[in-house]
Amino acid sequence: MIEFHNVTKRYEGGYEALSNVSLQLGDGEMAFLTGHSGAGKSTLLKIIALIEKPTRGQALLNRINLNTVSRHRIPYIRRNIGIIFQDHQLLFDRPVFDNVALPLQIQGYRPQEIAKRTRAALDKVGLLKKEKSMPITLSGGEQQRVGIARAVVHKPLLLLADEPTGNLDPMLSREIMQIFVEFNQVGVTVLVASHDLGLIDELDKPRITLNQGQLILNDLIGDKREPGDGWK
Amino acid sequence: MAGSNLRRHKPATTNKISAYFLHHLQSLVFSLGKIYQAPATTIMTVAVIGITLSLPGGFYLFLKNIDAMSGDFRSSTQISLYLDLDVSEKQARAVDKDIGGMEKVESTRFISREQSLEEFRQNSGFGKSIDTLSSNPLPHTIVVEPVAADSFEIRNLVNQLQAMPEVKIAKLDTEWLERLYTIIEIAKRSVTIVTILFACAVLLIIGNTIRLDIQNRYQEIIVTKLIGATDAFIRRPFLYGGVWYGLMGGVVSWLIVEIGYLVISGPLERLNLLYQSEMTLITFSFHDFVVLIASSTLLGLAGSWIAVARHLNQIEPS
Repeated sequence: MIEFHNVTKRYEGGYEALSNVSLQLGDGEMAFLTGHSGAGKSTLLKIIALIEKPTRGQALLNRINLNTVSRHRIPYIRRNIGIIFQDHQLLFDRPVFDNVALPLQIQGYRPQEIAKRTRAALDKVGLLKKEKSMPITLSGGEQQRVGIARAVVHKPLLLLADEPTGNLDPMLSREIMQIFVEFNQVGVTVLVASHDLGLIDELDKPRITLNQGQLILNDLIGDKREPGDGWK
Repeated sequence: MAGSNLRRHKPATTNKISAYFLHHLQSLVFSLGKIYQAPATTIMTVAVIGITLSLPGGFYLFLKNIDAMSGDFRSSTQISLYLDLDVSEKQARAVDKDIGGMEKVESTRFISREQSLEEFRQNSGFGKSIDTLSSNPLPHTIVVEPVAADSFEIRNLVNQLQAMPEVKIAKLDTEWLERLYTIIEIAKRSVTIVTILFACAVLLIIGNTIRLDIQNRYQEIIVTKLIGATDAFIRRPFLYGGVWYGLMGGVVSWLIVEIGYLVISGPLERLNLLYQSEMTLITFSFHDFVVLIASSTLLGLAGSWIAVARHLNQIEPS
């Protein structure tokens, strides 16, 4: 699903956020991305989400070269990714249902289909009863779960989460991580950036650790596929 | 396309086109909802647009009325011929007959010196002083009604009549009208300039409002971009926002002009009575109304397009 070949990202001013990172996250795998803040976790996720482009090296997402993607194709590629933010990035001017339905509206689903899928996603995170609530009235944990519902409502192939439990207490954090594991069990590739090492230890999943932009630990054994073997 | 293998989950929508129109409809309603949610901003913006557009609208209506009035005058072009005082009534009547037979002349009316004096006595209020005059100072007058023609031909006719030996002065009553026409022409061009300037102002007002709107919804734009919204998708609600502003501003400007019309029409009717004229004020025709609303709506779209083109592409997640 994700392939990095000697990826380096240098920002203007010479700061190197990623240095020569190579890794492969296979289809249907789940991994944790760890490291201190400033280690390059966010930069790595940004490259996958097409927010940043590598300065050197090659980044591939399902065989698409992310270095050379044209601007107008970016939205269509992003539709295959579900992104969960630390601060959940909900839109506070509309109810929970509309927040979750947004990816489906963007992709032009029919209203009946939108309603069905949105309710299914809300049900999965246990918030079906809150569909009419405004996000501001929800607790932090509930808001994060709305964010997750929005990230998965369109059944993406890949789920990216950037410190999804950063602001939550341990109990809620465990719940949230459990939701990710469940999605992974039904075949979604999941990459979670987190520094909650205690929680990560509980969930027996491979770990990728960055330190000052360099890969210092990689539990991933790499893509199990043969070259040229697509997943169509 | 290399990306096609990523797009495994196609929308179940069988009819993409209907989904496209659906989103247009949603954007239309959504942008209206946004406007409704921020009534103060909306009222201010719409009022500014309305007032701005009401100025050229009002000028236009004013000119339209002047034009209609001067049209009435034009049909009543007359040439007054004042004959020499030593021309006798008999000679004068002969001249009148001659002129009446001319090709370019529709009709004539002969007013003798005595008739002129009598009219003057009755209308001027100087009756008593006139009685003290030893002789009648007024000449025989022939009022010539020319065949409807352009001003050049009429001027030729005037010159021709002036050349007659019995005629002392040939006076074209439309000289002032010619001046009026020139003034109207100047006014028309001024209105065009004013209209262009105010249209630009509306463009800027709407562009600025939409720019602020884009800034206020910065976060929303970033989030929707991250979940795969195309530029067109993000653009749409803003463009419709501009359309609503333009449309509502157009209606407000129409209302302002109509109210102005009502305010003016009262005194004008009194003026009509005083002048015994049959001037009637004309207001916007349905056609004018449609043009006004359509142009303000288009201005709204154009203004928001400029803002969107300039500012939306700069917003990228980082």
